[in-house]
Amino acid sequence: MMNSMSNIEYVKGLIDQSFKVLETDVIDQYQVSFVFKQADVLQVLVTLKNAGWKQMSYLSAIDWPDEAKFEMVYILMNWERAIHVQIRTKIDRNDPVMPSIITVYPGAKYYERECHEFFGVKFPGNPDYEKQLILEMWDDIPPLRKDFDPQAYSDRKFTKREYNQDYKILSEDNKLKEKREARKQRAQSLKGGQKA
Amino acid sequence: MKSTKFTPARKLTKEEIDRKWWEIGDFFRRNSLWMLMYCTGCCAIELPPAMTSAYDMERLGMGPMATPRQADILLISGYLSVKSLRRVIYTYEQMSEPKYVVGLGSCPINGGIYHDSHAVINQLDQYIPVDTYVSGCMPNTESVMNGFVDLMEQIKNKTANGWVKYKENNEWYKSNQKAALGEVIIHDEFHE
Repeated sequence: MMNSMSNIEYVKGLIDQSFKVLETDVIDQYQVSFVFKQADVLQVLVTLKNAGWKQMSYLSAIDWPDEAKFEMVYILMNWERAIHVQIRTKIDRNDPVMPSIITVYPGAKYYERECHEFFGVKFPGNPDYEKQLILEMWDDIPPLRKDFDPQAYSDRKFTKREYNQDYKILSEDNKLKEKREARKQRAQSLKGGQKA
Repeated sequence: MKSTKFTPARKLTKEEIDRKWWEIGDFFRRNSLWMLMYCTGCCAIELPPAMTSAYDMERLGMGPMATPRQADILLISGYLSVKSLRRVIYTYEQMSEPKYVVGLGSCPINGGIYHDSHAVINQLDQYIPVDTYVSGCMPNTESVMNGFVDLMEQIKNKTANGWVKYKENNEWYKSNQKAALGEVIIHDEFHE
């Protein structure tokens, strides 16, 4: 069994020799992250799968509304070399299209459907990506986008319980303020059962 | 002179006989309640101590039941997402009458910490009638047990009539369900 640092070196060497990496980030001894151009992603996944990263642990998106980008993240796991590899790429936010990876990792089918539902990313190549999976009869913009307001949606959609206001807000100009302050100070001075 | 002959008892009306039978039925019913636990949220963690030797629900005559058709109580433990509310309504309508609903925790009451979530409903009693609420986030096991005892009291006092309300105000409940859910029964690839 190889130690974990040489595993990092191994995956770095493997990636660097055949792809142009925009950014590399060694997160810890078991995790490394690479940023690629969108066009390279599928080829990188094929390479990594052949090198032993057989398990696709997760696929999701991150919303960066300021840059008008979605960042796609693919997390792969190798059971021989204990390394999680994150493949990241940024895609356009206004027309988010990412080719499906189900030809490489068939299990990604449901992750892609989830990602489409929560972020609105389209996955051509996946026959079912538009079918509903988790949200049922959703009628708004995808809910995990940063510009979605869950409070407003909840207020619009679900009835709220109404309460009578049976308490009083003690304002600053209340004439009982002095009394309150005095009581507070007395409580402070009696702290621990001892008079100050 | 009044006759000393035995006077036959007044003939009871059908309503009175029905009421008496209901009282007898309620006596047995409240002493053997079967619960269908819909463990949607974190309050479900209060049920193991309530069921096992620590608080021992069995001594109140309560027990878990596997199917809705044989259960008396539908126990909603914790927050309800829109998706599970559909299943809850479906389950509730399958239960045979009389049926009671107990809501655990603050989420079925007013949304609790999920009051601003896009996926969680705020008030359970808008969609199905609730007989007993146990408040708290989460309620401790004493209050859960207390809630069950309260429900038994309510059955005794004939105030646990949520299922009657559901029948009488069915249109109101249905319109609320429609407003929040769109459609109660979903036809998709998993339910065909």
